Amino acid sequence: MNPLIAISIGLREISAHKFRTCLSMLGIVLGVSSLIATMALTRGIEDGTRKFMQQIGGLEFVSIVSKEPSSKKFEFANLSPGRTLRDAEALKQSANFLSHVSPEIFLSTAVATDGGGNPDRRMVRGVYPDHFVIGMHQIRAGRFLTPLDVERGSRSAVLGDSVAKQLWPDTPAELAVGKTILIDSRPFVVVGVLTLYEMEEQARARKSGRGSARSSMSRWDPFRQKNETVLIPFNTMFHELRSGAFPLDSLDTMKLETLTVRVEDLDYFQPALEQIRSILDITHRGVDDYDLETRQDWFDRMERSVRAARLSGGLISAISLVVGGIGIMNIMLASISERVREIGIRLAVGARQRDIFWQILIESILVSFLGSLLGIFASLGLIEILKSIAPSENIPVLTPDAIFLAVGFAIAAGLLSGLYPAAKASSIDPITALRYE
Amino acid sequence: MSLIHLEDLSKVYRVGDQEIRALDQIDLRIEEGEFLSIIGSSGSGKSTLMHLLGCLDTPTSGRMEICGKDLAKASSDELAGVRNREVGFVFQAFNLLPKLDVVSNIALPLVYAGVPHAERLVRAKKAAADVGLGDRLSNRPPQLSGGQCQRVAIARALVNNPRILFADEPTGNLDSTTGRMILEMFDALHAAGKTIVLVTHDPAIAAHSRRVIEIRDGRITREYKP
Repeated sequence: MNPLIAISIGLREISAHKFRTCLSMLGIVLGVSSLIATMALTRGIEDGTRKFMQQIGGLEFVSIVSKEPSSKKFEFANLSPGRTLRDAEALKQSANFLSHVSPEIFLSTAVATDGGGNPDRRMVRGVYPDHFVIGMHQIRAGRFLTPLDVERGSRSAVLGDSVAKQLWPDTPAELAVGKTILIDSRPFVVVGVLTLYEMEEQARARKSGRGSARSSMSRWDPFRQKNETVLIPFNTMFHELRSGAFPLDSLDTMKLETLTVRVEDLDYFQPALEQIRSILDITHRGVDDYDLETRQDWFDRMERSVRAARLSGGLISAISLVVGGIGIMNIMLASISERVREIGIRLAVGARQRDIFWQILIESILVSFLGSLLGIFASLGLIEILKSIAPSENIPVLTPDAIFLAVGFAIAAGLLSGLYPAAKASSIDPITALRYE
Repeated sequence: MSLIHLEDLSKVYRVGDQEIRALDQIDLRIEEGEFLSIIGSSGSGKSTLMHLLGCLDTPTSGRMEICGKDLAKASSDELAGVRNREVGFVFQAFNLLPKLDVVSNIALPLVYAGVPHAERLVRAKKAAADVGLGDRLSNRPPQLSGGQCQRVAIARALVNNPRILFADEPTGNLDSTTGRMILEMFDALHAAGKTIVLVTHDPAIAAHSRRVIEIRDGRITREYKP
C-alpha cells in the first residue's frame, strides 16, 4: 500500500478524534519541549564556559604542578628538592621557548591600613614581575612590581581593586598609590592598584547604573580571586614573612606554591613542553614528582562536565519521551478496539495484514510527529522563560540539531509504541471483526 | 473448468473439548455465470460456507479451488489478494466506513489493489453511477437510506471488476420494496454475465436465482431449480 494513503488515513483518524489525540500527544509534547530546552540550556552553558575560558586566558600558559612520583621511582623520591625557585631560574635561563616564568608563594595573613582599623585576613602572594603577564593583569594606577623590587626585597605591594576599595572606601585608585598598608604588622608601600576585572555583562550592568553589587554577590564571580589579590615581591615575602616557618629553608630550596610559565609561540608548544621536562628532570634529579598542566587539559575537563550535564538532561527528557510513547500506545490500543469493525471491512475488501499493520504504525508515528511539532513551539516558550532566569552569560542557545534530535527521538518513541498496537490490529480475524458490534 | 470447486470440504471449530463440525464433507461446483443461492436456517453452516468461499477463512480439510487457485492452505496474503481482485462482498449490515464519503467507500478495494489516486476516483465514480448514485458522491453513509447504502456496497463490491459476487442476506435490513430493487440489480448483473452467490434463509429470495442449494447441519441436503 502506498504510504501516502496510510498517512492520509491516519490524518483523517487524528482529525476525527482531536481531543483524544491531543491527550495522547501530551507526553510527546512535554518530552520534546523539555529535550530541546535542556539542550539549549546546556548549549548556553557551554558557550558561556567557552567565552569565560577565552576571557581568563589563552592556551600558551602551562602550570607545573607537583604530583606523587611513580612507584618505580618512589625509593629515591627524597632526592628531588620539589618545585623550588631553582626550577624557575633554570627554566628562565635555559628554556628559550618560554617567554615568562612565574614562581609564586602564598601566605594568608592580616592586612590593614596604617591608620588603624581591623585587619582582614587575606591571601598575600609573593611573585616575580613575570606574574603581571602570566596573571593577565592590567594596572589602573601606579606601577607593577619590578625586578629591582624582587632583587632588593623592597616592601612594596600591588593591590587588587576590591582590596583597595575595602581599605579606603572613598579613595580613588590614583590616590591609594603611595599609601602605606600593614601586612602582618609590617609596613608596605602601595605602588600600584590593578584594574577591576569583571565579566562583560557585569561591566555593562555597572555602567548602566543597575545594582551590580547585588548581582555580583549572588553569582559566582570568576575574577573574584584576581580582584582580591595582594601582590608583593617574591624575595620580600620569603625574607619578611616566610623565613621563620621552616628554619632549614633557604630562598632556593623553599617549595613553591605555583609555578606557571608562558610559551612564547604556540607553534612550538610541544617542543616547549619537552624543553620544560628535560630541564625539570635535571633539577628534580630524575624524579617524576611534577606534571605539566596545560589549559587545554583544563578546557577539556570543562567540556567534559558540560557534556555530562547535557547527557543527564537528555536522559531525563528521554524518560518523558518514553512516558509519552506509552501514552500513545494506550490511546492506539483503545482506538483499535473501537475500530475492530473498520479493520474487518478493510480486510474483507482485500487489505493484507501488513496493510493494517502499517496503517496503525504510521498513525502512531503521525501522532508523535505532530506532538513533536507542538513540542517545538512549546520549547520556544520554555526557552524564553529560561532566558529570563538563567545567568546572562549562560543564555540558552537553540540549535537546529537539538530540534532534529528531539523530533527524531519523538518519532522513534511513536514507532516503538505503535509496534504492539499495530501487531495486535493486524492479527484481528476478519470474520470476528465483521460480526463485532 | 469450474469457477469454484469444493471437494470433501470440512470446517471444524474447537470450543473447549467440544468439536463442532460447521461444514461436513461438502462437494460443490459453481460454474462461471451462475446465479446460485445457498439457503439454510441459522446455525446450518451457510455463513461458514460463504466465509470459506469468500476467502475470509480457510477449511480444516478438503480441497478448495477458486478461480483456478488452490486456496485450501493459502497464506493470509494470498487470501487477501483473492478477496481484493476475484471476489466482491455485499453484507446484510452494509459494512460501509461511516467516516468516508461514498466515493472513498467505493474506492476502498482499489486502495489495496494499488491503483493510483486519479484512476481510483474515475473508476469509483463510474461504479457509483452504475448503481444510480452518481449524484450522492460526497455524502457519507449515515446520510443515506438503507437502500442507497446497499447500492454503495454493491458498487464497492464491483469496482475492482471481480468474477464472483457474494451477497450475505443483502435484503435483510431493507424493506420489501427496496429489497426487491436490490434483487433486480442482481438479476441485471447476472444477465450481464457476473457469477453471483446469494446466502439467505428466505426461500422467496432464493427463488430469484437459477439454482438453490439447501444446507442443514453442515451438509448439502437438497439442490433444486426454482
